[in-house]
Amino acid sequence: MQPSRARLFKEYKEVQKEKAADPDIQLVCDESNIFKWNALIKGPSETPYEGGVFQLAFSVPEQYPLQPPQVRFLTKIFHPNVHFKTGEICLDILKNAWSPAWTLQSVCRAIIALMAHPEADSPLNCDSGNLLRSGDIRGYQAMARMYTRLAAMPKKG
Amino acid sequence: MNWSSLLNRTEYNLKQFTLTVVCSVHFKPSHRMEKQETQVADGEKEPKVSIEASHFDDWETFADENIMQQQYDIQAEEAVKAPFEPLSSLAAEYQSGSPILLEKIKVLGEQYAAIRRARGDGNCFFRSFMFSYLEHILDSQDKAEVARIKENVEKCRKTLQSLGYADFTFEDFFSLFLEQLDSVLQGSDTSISPDELILRCRDQSVSDYVVMFFRFVTSGEIRNRSEFFEPFILGLTNSTVEQFCKSSVEPMGEESDHVHITALSDALGVPVRVVYLDRSSCDSGGTSVNHHDFIPATGDLPNAASGNSETVKPFITLLYRPGHYDILYPK
Repeated sequence: MQPSRARLFKEYKEVQKEKAADPDIQLVCDESNIFKWNALIKGPSETPYEGGVFQLAFSVPEQYPLQPPQVRFLTKIFHPNVHFKTGEICLDILKNAWSPAWTLQSVCRAIIALMAHPEADSPLNCDSGNLLRSGDIRGYQAMARMYTRLAAMPKKG
Repeated sequence: MNWSSLLNRTEYNLKQFTLTVVCSVHFKPSHRMEKQETQVADGEKEPKVSIEASHFDDWETFADENIMQQQYDIQAEEAVKAPFEPLSSLAAEYQSGSPILLEKIKVLGEQYAAIRRARGDGNCFFRSFMFSYLEHILDSQDKAEVARIKENVEKCRKTLQSLGYADFTFEDFFSLFLEQLDSVLQGSDTSISPDELILRCRDQSVSDYVVMFFRFVTSGEIRNRSEFFEPFILGLTNSTVEQFCKSSVEPMGEESDHVHITALSDALGVPVRVVYLDRSSCDSGGTSVNHHDFIPATGDLPNAASGNSETVKPFITLLYRPGHYDILYPK
């Protein structure tokens, strides 16, 4: 068996076992393809993303875990390090700081941490980055909260 | 268009590329480097991928993924190279270089016969260590040494577990290393010849897994003895032990420094000699080549029973030139 496949099976088992351990993350493998995963993560509390549920799409390369998974936000999000149109995420561990010590589950945790601690100096979403960099915290939070309500919360009624 | 991020990416791209280029003097370097260094093996060609990149017009859609793919392609091309050459090839490389270096290479020639070049992708120390160690076992058939290192490998496994690493994140890398160890011992169905060892060490799927095994072992040792390593790490990077392991030890392609070498040598109980080829000279006039022996700190050395640590003689000798490690063969 391919090493990537074997590793993903182990992660799959681990996810089943630990389902209750991390209530903020729900990681699901595609039924027909173990290289495709989806995750639902909860917006961290005391951030403009609180109350929102965000969907992530994982595409795992054949060389996993030597190479990182590709992860995108499927849910629209206003965040300096997430591309507003494509959902691409700028996070070092998904690029050159990746190591096999990370797992799909811990990548989700890292993304939640990124949501709580935006890195305005290397923005993929410049509008969002500029608000933060110019010190307009209120403006950033208002925009981020609006998009959380519009895109990441179930419609009422 | 998002110019700032485009700029970032281009820089990142260049940095990645020069990183792979700078480390290695045995393949065709970028145009700015001196021409005479390009002589080496025949049939060398500019990495195909870089040509494609220069023709790449659609920068708008050139995402990080493309950059990473490009980098992987360059690495794959580099992987097939592991030339074994007489030491004279080293002198040829510096023909019109610094007289101090030429003088030192002459001195090296008195003790060393040959050099085996490791690819320059940031993993050169670990790859040199891997090949050198496995080649030593293949030559010596030292079963006691294999038994000894296996015990240390098991200790490293326990260390990682106690540090909170999930088994499934590292066990594949451990078992692949143990497999290589068994296969260099002759007399079983899975035994391999020296030529096969070279092929394996060039095979990305074996080589990278073993490199990653060493990276896990190194990281575990550093974290486990964080008090000892902390001052050295602060001197190098001004980061915490945890950050250092996450950013400079565990990711592939991160270059090794004395911290890594000390930790790996200690964890596996394998002494390493590093010979330094640089422009430093001593005042006394005579040219000498500095070397440093990394002698494992733990008490379970191969010949510790004799109680004399000076008898420990490293069987792994690496040549260090700023930014790169290769393997040296004594006469």
